[in-house]
Amino acid sequence: MTGGALSDDDEVLAAELALGLLTREEARAAEARAVGNAGFATACAKWQDYAATLFSGAGSEMPSPSLWGAILARLPANDTAAPASRALRGWQAATGLAAAAALVFAVLGLDRAAPPPIIAPVPAAQAPLVAVLTGKDSGFVTISYNPGDGRLTVAPQGLVMGQHSAELWIIPGDGTPRSLGVIAAAAPGWRAAPRPASALIAAGGTMAITVEPLGGSPSGKPTGSVILSGKLTAA
Amino acid sequence: MPSTTPARDSTQLTLALQRVAGGDRAAFEELYRRTCVKLLSVCLRILPVRQEAEEALQEAYLSVWQRAGSFDAARGSAMTWLITLTRNRAVDRLRARGRAVQAPIELAEMVPDPAPPATALIEMAQDERALALCLSELAGGDATLIRTAFFEGVTYAELAERTTTPLGTIKSRIRRALLALRNCLT
Repeated sequence: MTGGALSDDDEVLAAELALGLLTREEARAAEARAVGNAGFATACAKWQDYAATLFSGAGSEMPSPSLWGAILARLPANDTAAPASRALRGWQAATGLAAAAALVFAVLGLDRAAPPPIIAPVPAAQAPLVAVLTGKDSGFVTISYNPGDGRLTVAPQGLVMGQHSAELWIIPGDGTPRSLGVIAAAAPGWRAAPRPASALIAAGGTMAITVEPLGGSPSGKPTGSVILSGKLTAA
Repeated sequence: MPSTTPARDSTQLTLALQRVAGGDRAAFEELYRRTCVKLLSVCLRILPVRQEAEEALQEAYLSVWQRAGSFDAARGSAMTWLITLTRNRAVDRLRARGRAVQAPIELAEMVPDPAPPATALIEMAQDERALALCLSELAGGDATLIRTAFFEGVTYAELAERTTTPLGTIKSRIRRALLALRNCLT
């Protein structure tokens, strides 16, 4: 075995780093050690391979079709020199609002500076509807609905759900809420609005978000309290 | 359609990742198509609720876009890099939702990690098979400790807490297990 002089301590350290057993400071120190020590770096790479292998199997489920669009919508525009060291969390904190706004602009076709998207948007035949849902807490959710292609875009900001799901409802003139499905609380996303409830999305209608068990209301009717609501207006 | 082999797939993935580092969105889409099923399975292993797994997956790909430049083909495969990054995003999310995962780990000379059934072994890739067999040869509970650490992002201190074992004991126990694993795998 070449480079077999690696001590047991280094071997274990490489394994601990790959398996996530170290504290943040310890991990940083170990990574620094790998920079100047080829034998140790090789061991780190080997253990990272082992660790990755713990996720056995190729997987069998496709992500939702909307996921790729949601990722594209969050890419920083014209970001050709991606910063290598910035943590996502910091980036999100700094640009969360901008990302939410950019998403709405993208749907409205206003963001002319953005490069052409890989998935071409369907041209809107009718004016989109927008609603900003607010409540007594600090979080809010911006919603945009395009009646032309039935696409519902949801951009949450500061929504903390813990062990619950956020479910979106349309409440038309008759006052009966119809579910538009569970929304992602942490990231903007879009999808086709579920039928037949989508037909009820119209200017003047109310949208609301309730706290529901994970996966959404089991009954099809709201079971938790309304945390955010707002009126739909034509953009 | 050219036939694909693991080596060829791996090379193409490396090339795609290197192009992503240069801001190539078409390469990013190709990378997504090639890896999204596997990386979703990584997220689902850590976050069994589908929606949470998909949110973590979304964050993982955004991290890929931002950090592709730090991938070094000389230091490991693109797939390992992607899996490691995705695991970290999923674990971040698991940890961020509070102290949700605190289930005590029952160590009282628990049964050893069961050896995978032969049918499962046949379907595994060679390296997965070797690891599964070596883990099954560790002393009772050790494989569980290692898996818990990795899949739940738990450090030694928390493992000690959750097994109600002194920190020093749990450290030396896992270190012994890791060396045994190394000896078994090489």
